[in-house]
Amino acid sequence: MQHQPLIVRWSMPITIVLLFVLALAPVRLIGWTSWFNAQTIVVFMPVANPIGSALDFIIPPQAANRGASERERELTGEIDRYRTQLLQIKHENDRLNELIEQFSRGAQITPNLDVRQIHRPRISSLYNDTLVIRTGKIDGLTQGTVVVVDAVQLLGKVTRVNARTATVRMITAKSAQQIMATVLLNDEGSEQVSCLLTPVGDGTLIGEVARSSADDSWGQLVGREVRLLDNQWPQHAQMLVIGTIERIQRNDTQPLRQRIIVRPTIKDLRRVPEVILRLPAEGDAGSGSGSDSIIGGSP
Amino acid sequence: MNWFVFAFVSWVLFGVELALLPILDAGDRGVHASMIIPLLTFIALYAPRKQAMWSAIILGVVMDLLSPMAQIDGGSAFIIGPHALGYLLACHFVLAIRGSLIRRNPLTLVIISIAASFIAQIAVVALFTLRNLGTNPLIWDAGDQLVQRSFSSLYTGLSALALSIIFFALAPTFGFHSTVPTRFARTIK
Repeated sequence: MQHQPLIVRWSMPITIVLLFVLALAPVRLIGWTSWFNAQTIVVFMPVANPIGSALDFIIPPQAANRGASERERELTGEIDRYRTQLLQIKHENDRLNELIEQFSRGAQITPNLDVRQIHRPRISSLYNDTLVIRTGKIDGLTQGTVVVVDAVQLLGKVTRVNARTATVRMITAKSAQQIMATVLLNDEGSEQVSCLLTPVGDGTLIGEVARSSADDSWGQLVGREVRLLDNQWPQHAQMLVIGTIERIQRNDTQPLRQRIIVRPTIKDLRRVPEVILRLPAEGDAGSGSGSDSIIGGSP
Repeated sequence: MNWFVFAFVSWVLFGVELALLPILDAGDRGVHASMIIPLLTFIALYAPRKQAMWSAIILGVVMDLLSPMAQIDGGSAFIIGPHALGYLLACHFVLAIRGSLIRRNPLTLVIISIAASFIAQIAVVALFTLRNLGTNPLIWDAGDQLVQRSFSSLYTGLSALALSIIFFALAPTFGFHSTVPTRFARTIK
Protein backbone atom coordinates (compact mmCIF):
# COMPACT_ATOMS: atom_id res chain seq x y z
CA MET A 1 0.00 0.00 0.00
CA GLN A 2 1.53 3.34 -1.09
CA HIS A 3 0.91 6.36 1.09
CA GLN A 4 3.26 8.74 -0.65
CA PRO A 5 1.90 11.71 -2.60
CA LEU A 6 1.62 11.18 -6.35
CA ILE A 7 4.43 13.62 -7.17
CA VAL A 8 6.85 11.76 -4.87
CA ARG A 9 5.95 8.38 -6.36
CA TRP A 10 6.36 9.64 -9.92
CA SER A 11 9.39 11.87 -9.34
CA MET A 12 11.94 9.19 -10.27
CA PRO A 13 10.31 8.08 -13.56
CA ILE A 14 9.71 11.72 -14.52
CA THR A 15 13.36 12.55 -13.82
CA ILE A 16 14.58 9.59 -15.87
CA VAL A 17 12.39 10.57 -18.84
CA LEU A 18 13.56 14.18 -18.51
CA LEU A 19 17.20 13.08 -18.47
CA PHE A 20 16.64 10.95 -21.57
CA VAL A 21 15.05 13.91 -23.36
CA LEU A 22 17.89 16.21 -22.33
CA ALA A 23 20.53 13.64 -23.30
CA LEU A 24 19.10 13.36 -26.80
CA ALA A 25 17.96 16.96 -27.29
CA PRO A 26 19.63 19.03 -30.05
CA VAL A 27 22.50 21.17 -28.83
CA ARG A 28 20.80 24.43 -29.85
CA LEU A 29 18.00 23.71 -27.36
CA ILE A 30 20.27 23.16 -24.37
CA GLY A 31 22.41 26.28 -24.45
CA TRP A 32 21.06 27.20 -21.02
CA THR A 33 23.11 24.38 -19.45
CA SER A 34 26.23 26.56 -19.66
CA TRP A 35 24.77 28.77 -16.91
CA PHE A 36 24.56 25.71 -14.66
CA ASN A 37 28.10 24.79 -15.67
CA ALA A 38 29.29 28.22 -14.50
CA GLN A 39 27.58 27.74 -11.14
CA THR A 40 29.03 24.23 -10.81
CA ILE A 41 32.51 25.58 -11.42
CA VAL A 42 31.96 28.25 -8.77
CA VAL A 43 30.93 25.53 -6.31
CA PHE A 44 33.82 23.13 -6.92
CA MET A 45 36.74 25.47 -7.54
CA PRO A 46 37.26 26.35 -3.86
CA VAL A 47 38.35 22.72 -3.42
CA ALA A 48 40.03 22.06 -6.75
CA ASN A 49 42.05 25.28 -6.91
CA PRO A 50 43.93 25.01 -3.57
CA ILE A 51 44.66 21.33 -4.16
CA GLY A 52 45.88 22.12 -7.67
CA SER A 53 48.12 24.90 -6.33
CA ALA A 54 49.49 22.58 -3.65
CA LEU A 55 50.21 19.93 -6.28
CA ASP A 56 51.95 22.49 -8.49
CA PHE A 57 54.12 23.35 -5.49
CA ILE A 58 54.94 19.69 -4.78
CA ILE A 59 55.27 18.60 -8.43
CA PRO A 60 56.17 21.77 -10.34
CA PRO A 61 54.96 21.90 -13.94
CA GLN A 62 57.86 21.44 -16.34
CA ALA A 63 59.08 24.67 -17.90
CA ALA A 64 60.22 24.93 -21.51
CA ASN A 65 63.97 25.02 -20.67
CA ARG A 66 64.36 23.09 -17.48
CA GLY A 67 68.16 23.18 -17.34
CA ALA A 68 68.46 26.89 -18.09
CA SER A 69 69.09 29.60 -15.52
CA GLU A 70 66.65 32.43 -14.91
CA ARG A 71 68.69 34.83 -17.10
CA GLU A 72 69.02 32.27 -19.90
CA ARG A 73 65.29 31.66 -19.82
CA GLU A 74 64.65 35.41 -19.95
CA LEU A 75 66.92 35.78 -22.98
CA THR A 76 65.43 32.74 -24.70
CA GLY A 77 61.97 34.15 -24.11
CA GLU A 78 63.06 37.48 -25.57
CA ILE A 79 64.50 35.74 -28.64
CA ASP A 80 61.28 33.78 -29.04
CA ARG A 81 59.22 36.95 -28.88
CA TYR A 82 61.40 38.76 -31.42
CA ARG A 83 61.45 35.77 -33.73
CA THR A 84 57.69 35.58 -33.57
CA GLN A 85 57.44 39.29 -34.29
CA LEU A 86 59.91 38.95 -37.17
CA LEU A 87 58.04 36.03 -38.68
CA GLN A 88 54.71 37.77 -38.18
CA ILE A 89 56.08 40.84 -39.92
CA LYS A 90 57.45 38.70 -42.74
CA HIS A 91 54.12 36.99 -43.08
CA GLU A 92 52.34 40.31 -42.83
CA ASN A 93 54.68 41.70 -45.47
CA ASP A 94 53.84 38.89 -47.86
CA ARG A 95 50.18 39.33 -47.12
CA LEU A 96 50.37 43.08 -47.68
CA ASN A 97 52.17 42.58 -50.95
CA GLU A 98 49.32 40.36 -52.02
CA LEU A 99 46.91 42.92 -50.67
CA ILE A 100 48.41 45.69 -52.78
CA GLU A 101 47.72 43.57 -55.80
CA GLN A 102 44.21 43.02 -54.57
CA PHE A 103 43.73 46.75 -53.90
CA SER A 104 44.57 47.46 -57.44
CA ARG A 105 41.74 45.15 -58.37
CA GLY A 106 39.36 46.86 -55.99
CA ALA A 107 39.59 44.39 -53.11
CA GLN A 108 38.39 45.32 -49.65
CA ILE A 109 40.60 46.72 -46.96
CA THR A 110 41.63 44.19 -44.29
CA PRO A 111 40.74 44.83 -40.66
CA ASN A 112 43.16 46.39 -38.22
CA LEU A 113 45.45 43.92 -36.50
CA ASP A 114 45.73 45.63 -33.11
CA VAL A 115 45.54 43.08 -30.35
CA ARG A 116 44.70 43.46 -26.68
CA GLN A 117 46.45 40.93 -24.44
CA ILE A 118 45.00 39.90 -21.12
CA HIS A 119 46.80 37.79 -18.54
CA ARG A 120 44.47 35.62 -16.54
CA PRO A 121 45.02 32.66 -14.20
CA ARG A 122 43.89 29.17 -14.94
CA ILE A 123 41.30 28.10 -12.40
CA SER A 124 41.25 24.39 -13.10
CA SER A 125 41.21 21.66 -15.68
CA LEU A 126 37.96 20.08 -16.74
CA TYR A 127 37.33 16.73 -18.37
CA ASN A 128 38.06 16.27 -22.10
CA ASP A 129 41.26 18.36 -22.12
CA THR A 130 39.72 21.71 -21.39
CA LEU A 131 40.77 24.47 -19.01
CA VAL A 132 38.72 26.95 -17.07
CA ILE A 133 40.13 30.46 -16.89
CA ARG A 134 39.10 33.33 -14.68
CA THR A 135 37.66 35.75 -17.19
CA GLY A 136 34.66 35.84 -19.46
CA LYS A 137 32.22 38.20 -21.07
CA ILE A 138 33.35 40.84 -18.58
CA ASP A 139 36.62 41.13 -20.55
CA GLY A 140 34.96 40.90 -23.93
CA LEU A 141 35.87 37.27 -24.63
CA THR A 142 34.03 35.49 -27.37
CA GLN A 143 34.02 31.94 -28.69
CA GLY A 144 37.18 31.53 -30.74
CA THR A 145 39.39 33.94 -28.76
CA VAL A 146 43.01 32.84 -29.12
CA VAL A 147 44.79 31.74 -25.94
CA VAL A 148 48.58 31.57 -25.63
CA VAL A 149 51.21 30.80 -23.00
CA ASP A 150 54.67 32.36 -22.62
CA ALA A 151 53.66 35.06 -25.11
CA VAL A 152 54.12 32.89 -28.20
CA GLN A 153 53.15 29.29 -27.41
CA LEU A 154 49.69 28.66 -28.79
CA LEU A 155 47.45 26.99 -26.20
CA GLY A 156 44.06 26.86 -27.84
CA LYS A 157 40.79 28.63 -28.41
CA VAL A 158 37.98 29.72 -26.11
CA THR A 159 35.04 27.40 -26.67
CA ARG A 160 32.53 28.65 -24.14
CA VAL A 161 32.19 32.01 -22.41
CA ASN A 162 30.26 32.66 -19.24
CA ALA A 163 30.04 35.95 -17.35
CA ARG A 164 33.24 35.47 -15.33
CA THR A 165 34.72 32.20 -16.53
CA ALA A 166 35.62 30.76 -19.90
CA THR A 167 36.37 27.28 -21.17
CA VAL A 168 39.42 26.78 -23.36
CA ARG A 169 40.06 23.75 -25.54
CA MET A 170 43.75 23.05 -26.06
CA ILE A 171 45.23 22.48 -29.49
CA THR A 172 46.40 19.06 -28.27
CA ALA A 173 42.93 17.91 -27.20
CA LYS A 174 41.76 14.97 -29.23
CA SER A 175 38.50 16.75 -29.96
CA ALA A 176 40.31 19.89 -31.17
CA GLN A 177 40.20 20.82 -34.82
CA GLN A 178 43.02 20.12 -37.27
CA ILE A 179 45.52 22.94 -37.74
CA MET A 180 47.38 24.08 -40.82
CA ALA A 181 50.96 24.75 -39.80
CA THR A 182 54.30 25.55 -41.30
CA VAL A 183 57.60 23.89 -40.43
CA LEU A 184 60.56 26.28 -40.40
CA LEU A 185 63.36 24.49 -42.19
CA ASN A 186 65.95 27.10 -41.18
CA ASP A 187 66.31 29.66 -38.41
CA GLU A 188 65.55 32.59 -40.69
CA GLY A 189 62.27 31.07 -41.75
CA SER A 190 63.05 31.59 -45.43
CA GLU A 191 62.44 27.90 -46.12
CA GLN A 192 59.15 26.56 -44.93
CA VAL A 193 56.99 23.58 -45.62
CA SER A 194 53.34 23.38 -44.70
CA CYS A 195 51.50 20.49 -43.08
CA LEU A 196 48.13 19.65 -41.62
CA LEU A 197 48.41 18.73 -37.94
CA THR A 198 45.94 16.47 -36.18
CA PRO A 199 45.86 16.20 -32.37
CA VAL A 200 46.60 12.67 -31.22
CA GLY A 201 45.26 12.95 -27.69
CA ASP A 202 48.50 12.30 -25.82
CA GLY A 203 49.73 15.89 -25.85
CA THR A 204 51.18 15.76 -29.36
CA LEU A 205 50.02 16.53 -32.88
CA ILE A 206 50.76 14.47 -35.96
CA GLY A 207 51.02 15.59 -39.57
CA GLU A 208 52.56 14.67 -42.90
CA VAL A 209 55.36 16.64 -44.45
CA ALA A 210 56.48 16.35 -48.04
CA ARG A 211 60.12 16.82 -49.03
CA SER A 212 61.27 17.77 -52.48
CA SER A 213 63.73 14.92 -52.87
CA ALA A 214 64.64 11.67 -51.20
CA ASP A 215 68.13 13.10 -50.52
CA ASP A 216 66.84 15.51 -47.90
CA SER A 217 67.63 14.15 -44.48
CA TRP A 218 64.53 13.68 -42.35
CA GLY A 219 66.62 13.62 -39.20
CA GLN A 220 67.36 17.33 -39.62
CA LEU A 221 63.70 18.10 -39.05
CA VAL A 222 63.75 16.89 -35.46
CA GLY A 223 63.74 19.90 -33.15
CA ARG A 224 62.50 22.28 -35.85
CA GLU A 225 59.84 24.75 -34.90
CA VAL A 226 56.30 24.39 -36.18
CA ARG A 227 54.18 27.52 -36.34
CA LEU A 228 50.57 28.31 -37.04
CA LEU A 229 49.65 29.35 -40.56
CA ASP A 230 45.95 28.71 -40.84
CA ASN A 231 43.26 30.89 -42.35
CA GLN A 232 40.74 29.46 -39.87
CA TRP A 233 42.58 31.29 -37.10
CA PRO A 234 42.67 35.09 -36.65
CA GLN A 235 45.34 37.07 -38.44
CA HIS A 236 47.06 38.06 -35.20
CA ALA A 237 47.53 34.40 -34.26
CA GLN A 238 49.46 33.51 -37.39
CA MET A 239 53.05 32.34 -36.82
CA LEU A 240 52.53 31.61 -33.14
CA VAL A 241 54.44 28.55 -31.99
CA ILE A 242 52.60 25.24 -32.07
CA GLY A 243 55.63 23.29 -30.90
CA THR A 244 58.74 21.55 -32.05
CA ILE A 245 59.14 18.33 -33.99
CA GLU A 246 59.75 15.62 -31.44
CA ARG A 247 60.32 12.75 -33.83
CA ILE A 248 59.70 11.51 -37.36
CA GLN A 249 57.54 8.48 -37.89
CA ARG A 250 58.62 6.32 -40.80
CA ASN A 251 56.22 5.97 -43.69
CA ASP A 252 57.69 3.23 -45.87
CA THR A 253 54.94 3.38 -48.47
CA GLN A 254 55.61 7.08 -49.16
CA PRO A 255 59.29 7.90 -48.61
CA LEU A 256 58.80 11.55 -49.64
CA ARG A 257 55.94 12.06 -47.17
CA GLN A 258 56.87 11.27 -43.60
CA ARG A 259 54.84 11.82 -40.47
CA ILE A 260 56.05 14.38 -37.97
CA ILE A 261 55.16 14.30 -34.28
CA VAL A 262 54.93 17.81 -32.86
CA ARG A 263 54.92 18.57 -29.14
CA PRO A 264 54.28 22.03 -27.66
CA THR A 265 57.27 23.69 -26.01
CA ILE A 266 55.44 23.41 -22.69
CA LYS A 267 55.15 19.74 -21.90
CA ASP A 268 51.75 19.76 -20.26
CA LEU A 269 49.49 22.56 -21.39
CA ARG A 270 46.87 21.56 -18.84
CA ARG A 271 49.05 22.70 -15.97
CA VAL A 272 49.99 26.20 -17.03
CA PRO A 273 49.41 28.59 -14.12
CA GLU A 274 48.21 31.46 -16.28
CA VAL A 275 47.33 32.18 -19.87
CA ILE A 276 47.30 35.17 -22.19
CA LEU A 277 44.21 35.95 -24.19
CA ARG A 278 44.63 37.78 -27.46
CA LEU A 279 41.64 39.96 -28.29
CA PRO A 280 41.07 42.47 -31.04
CA ALA A 281 41.84 45.89 -29.51
CA GLU A 282 38.88 47.66 -31.05
CA GLY A 283 35.72 48.12 -28.99
CA ASP A 284 35.64 48.13 -25.22
CA ALA A 285 39.36 48.04 -24.56
CA GLY A 286 38.88 49.73 -21.21
CA SER A 287 36.82 47.00 -19.58
CA GLY A 288 38.33 44.31 -17.40
CA SER A 289 40.35 44.44 -14.26
CA GLY A 290 43.54 42.50 -15.00
CA SER A 291 46.84 43.45 -16.58
CA ASP A 292 46.09 44.41 -20.17
CA SER A 293 48.43 45.56 -22.90
CA ILE A 294 47.92 46.54 -26.49
CA ILE A 295 50.33 45.53 -29.20
CA GLY A 296 50.09 47.18 -32.54
CA GLY A 297 49.95 45.58 -35.91
CA SER A 298 52.92 47.64 -37.01
CA PRO A 299 56.44 47.08 -35.61
CA MET B 1 21.31 8.77 4.77
CA ASN B 2 22.72 12.06 5.94
CA TRP B 3 22.44 14.28 2.82
CA PHE B 4 24.72 16.95 4.26
CA VAL B 5 27.59 14.47 4.64
CA PHE B 6 26.90 13.16 1.14
CA ALA B 7 27.01 16.70 -0.29
CA PHE B 8 30.21 17.55 1.57
CA VAL B 9 32.03 14.34 0.57
CA SER B 10 30.88 14.74 -3.05
CA TRP B 11 32.04 18.36 -3.06
CA VAL B 12 35.50 17.41 -1.78
CA LEU B 13 35.84 14.43 -4.12
CA PHE B 14 34.81 16.37 -7.22
CA GLY B 15 37.35 19.04 -6.29
CA VAL B 16 40.09 16.48 -5.70
CA GLU B 17 39.30 14.71 -8.97
CA LEU B 18 39.43 17.95 -10.95
CA ALA B 19 42.71 18.95 -9.28
CA LEU B 20 44.29 15.56 -9.90
CA LEU B 21 43.16 15.23 -13.53
CA PRO B 22 46.51 16.31 -15.05
CA ILE B 23 48.55 14.37 -12.49
CA LEU B 24 46.78 11.02 -12.47
CA ASP B 25 46.28 10.50 -16.18
CA ALA B 26 47.59 7.15 -17.31
CA GLY B 27 49.87 8.34 -20.09
CA ASP B 28 47.12 8.85 -22.61
CA ARG B 29 44.75 11.77 -22.16
CA GLY B 30 41.29 10.76 -21.12
CA VAL B 31 42.33 7.72 -19.07
CA HIS B 32 42.03 8.72 -15.44
CA ALA B 33 40.80 7.26 -12.18
CA SER B 34 37.38 8.33 -11.01
CA MET B 35 36.79 9.33 -7.40
CA ILE B 36 33.07 9.65 -7.92
CA ILE B 37 32.32 6.09 -9.01
CA PRO B 38 33.71 4.60 -5.75
CA LEU B 39 31.53 7.07 -3.82
CA LEU B 40 28.53 6.07 -5.89
CA THR B 41 29.29 2.39 -5.33
CA PHE B 42 29.74 2.92 -1.60
CA ILE B 43 26.40 4.68 -1.33
CA ALA B 44 24.67 2.08 -3.47
CA LEU B 45 26.10 -0.65 -1.22
CA TYR B 46 24.79 0.86 2.00
CA ALA B 47 22.07 3.47 1.45
CA PRO B 48 18.35 2.82 1.08
CA ARG B 49 17.31 2.13 -2.49
CA LYS B 50 15.64 5.44 -3.35
CA GLN B 51 18.29 7.59 -1.72
CA ALA B 52 21.03 5.68 -3.53
CA MET B 53 19.30 6.24 -6.87
CA TRP B 54 18.81 9.96 -6.26
CA SER B 55 22.47 10.23 -5.22
CA ALA B 56 23.48 8.58 -8.50
CA ILE B 57 21.40 11.05 -10.49
CA ILE B 58 22.83 14.05 -8.61
CA LEU B 59 26.43 12.85 -9.06
CA GLY B 60 25.77 12.15 -12.73
CA VAL B 61 24.24 15.55 -13.41
CA VAL B 62 27.22 17.27 -11.77
CA MET B 63 29.57 15.12 -13.86
CA ASP B 64 27.64 16.12 -16.99
CA LEU B 65 28.01 19.77 -16.05
CA LEU B 66 31.77 19.35 -15.67
CA SER B 67 32.29 17.47 -18.95
CA PRO B 68 32.26 19.86 -21.90
CA MET B 69 31.72 18.13 -25.23
CA ALA B 70 33.48 19.44 -28.30
CA GLN B 71 31.35 20.77 -31.11
CA ILE B 72 32.29 20.79 -34.77
CA ASP B 73 32.03 24.61 -34.89
CA GLY B 74 34.78 24.92 -32.27
CA GLY B 75 32.45 25.53 -29.35
CA SER B 76 31.53 23.24 -26.52
CA ALA B 77 28.25 22.04 -25.08
CA PHE B 78 27.21 20.60 -21.75
CA ILE B 79 24.85 17.70 -22.31
CA ILE B 80 22.88 16.85 -19.18
CA GLY B 81 21.77 13.25 -19.01
CA PRO B 82 24.33 10.71 -20.23
CA HIS B 83 26.37 10.50 -17.03
CA ALA B 84 23.26 10.81 -14.86
CA LEU B 85 21.58 7.89 -16.60
CA GLY B 86 24.83 5.91 -16.72
CA TYR B 87 25.38 6.36 -13.00
CA LEU B 88 21.76 5.45 -12.32
CA LEU B 89 22.20 2.23 -14.27
CA ALA B 90 25.41 1.46 -12.39
CA CYS B 91 23.64 2.17 -9.10
CA HIS B 92 20.82 -0.15 -10.09
CA PHE B 93 23.35 -2.88 -10.82
CA VAL B 94 24.93 -2.51 -7.36
CA LEU B 95 21.51 -2.43 -5.70
CA ALA B 96 20.59 -5.65 -7.47
CA ILE B 97 23.62 -7.58 -6.29
CA ARG B 98 24.42 -5.99 -2.95
CA GLY B 99 22.54 -8.65 -1.00
CA SER B 100 25.08 -11.28 -2.01
CA LEU B 101 28.19 -9.20 -1.37
CA ILE B 102 30.57 -9.01 1.57
CA ARG B 103 30.16 -5.27 1.96
CA ARG B 104 32.79 -4.65 4.62
CA ASN B 105 35.62 -5.99 2.49
CA PRO B 106 37.55 -3.19 0.68
CA LEU B 107 38.07 -5.50 -2.28
CA THR B 108 34.31 -5.62 -2.76
CA LEU B 109 34.29 -1.87 -3.25
CA VAL B 110 37.21 -2.17 -5.69
CA ILE B 111 35.66 -4.89 -7.85
CA ILE B 112 32.16 -3.43 -7.78
CA SER B 113 33.53 0.06 -8.57
CA ILE B 114 35.26 -1.31 -11.67
CA ALA B 115 32.12 -3.15 -12.78
CA ALA B 116 29.86 -0.16 -12.02
CA SER B 117 32.21 2.13 -13.90
CA PHE B 118 32.14 -0.18 -16.93
CA ILE B 119 28.35 -0.18 -16.92
CA ALA B 120 28.10 3.58 -16.47
CA GLN B 121 30.64 4.30 -19.21
CA ILE B 122 29.00 1.91 -21.67
CA ALA B 123 25.69 3.70 -21.06
CA VAL B 124 27.37 7.10 -21.55
CA VAL B 125 29.01 6.00 -24.80
CA ALA B 126 25.72 4.46 -26.01
CA LEU B 127 23.77 7.65 -25.31
CA PHE B 128 26.28 9.95 -26.97
CA THR B 129 26.50 7.61 -29.96
CA LEU B 130 22.72 7.52 -30.17
CA ARG B 131 22.44 11.29 -30.15
CA ASN B 132 25.16 11.56 -32.78
CA LEU B 133 23.26 9.30 -35.18
CA GLY B 134 21.28 12.33 -36.28
CA THR B 135 22.73 15.65 -37.29
CA ASN B 136 24.29 16.53 -33.97
CA PRO B 137 27.32 18.74 -34.17
CA LEU B 138 29.40 16.95 -31.52
CA ILE B 139 32.87 15.57 -32.15
CA TRP B 140 32.50 11.99 -30.99
CA ASP B 141 34.37 8.78 -31.75
CA ALA B 142 32.51 5.93 -30.03
CA GLY B 143 35.24 3.30 -30.42
CA ASP B 144 37.96 5.57 -29.13
CA GLN B 145 35.82 6.73 -26.22
CA LEU B 146 34.92 3.17 -25.31
CA VAL B 147 38.58 2.17 -25.14
CA GLN B 148 39.50 5.24 -23.05
CA ARG B 149 36.59 4.80 -20.69
CA SER B 150 37.22 1.05 -20.30
CA PHE B 151 40.80 1.70 -19.24
CA SER B 152 39.55 4.47 -16.95
CA SER B 153 37.20 1.95 -15.34
CA LEU B 154 40.11 -0.38 -14.61
CA TYR B 155 42.14 2.53 -13.26
CA THR B 156 39.20 3.45 -11.02
CA GLY B 157 39.92 0.26 -9.09
CA LEU B 158 43.04 1.93 -7.67
CA SER B 159 41.20 5.01 -6.48
CA ALA B 160 38.47 2.78 -5.04
CA LEU B 161 41.08 0.88 -3.03
CA ALA B 162 42.46 4.11 -1.58
CA LEU B 163 39.03 5.61 -0.96
CA SER B 164 37.64 2.46 0.64
CA ILE B 165 39.71 3.21 3.76
CA ILE B 166 38.25 6.71 3.98
CA PHE B 167 34.71 5.61 3.22
CA PHE B 168 34.69 2.81 5.78
CA ALA B 169 36.03 5.24 8.37
CA LEU B 170 33.33 7.76 7.48
CA ALA B 171 30.53 5.20 7.24
CA PRO B 172 28.92 6.05 10.62
CA THR B 173 28.67 9.76 9.67
CA PHE B 174 26.70 8.90 6.53
CA GLY B 175 23.96 7.56 8.78
CA PHE B 176 22.88 4.65 6.63
CA HIS B 177 19.83 2.90 8.05
CA SER B 178 18.97 0.43 5.35
CA THR B 179 18.00 -3.17 5.79
CA VAL B 180 19.54 -5.24 3.03
CA PRO B 181 18.17 -8.76 2.67
CA THR B 182 21.04 -11.17 2.11
CA ARG B 183 20.79 -14.33 0.13
CA PHE B 184 22.44 -16.80 2.47
CA ALA B 185 22.61 -15.26 5.91
CA ARG B 186 20.69 -13.10 8.32
CA THR B 187 19.55 -9.64 7.31
CA ILE B 188 22.30 -7.01 7.50
CA LYS B 189 21.46 -3.72 9.16
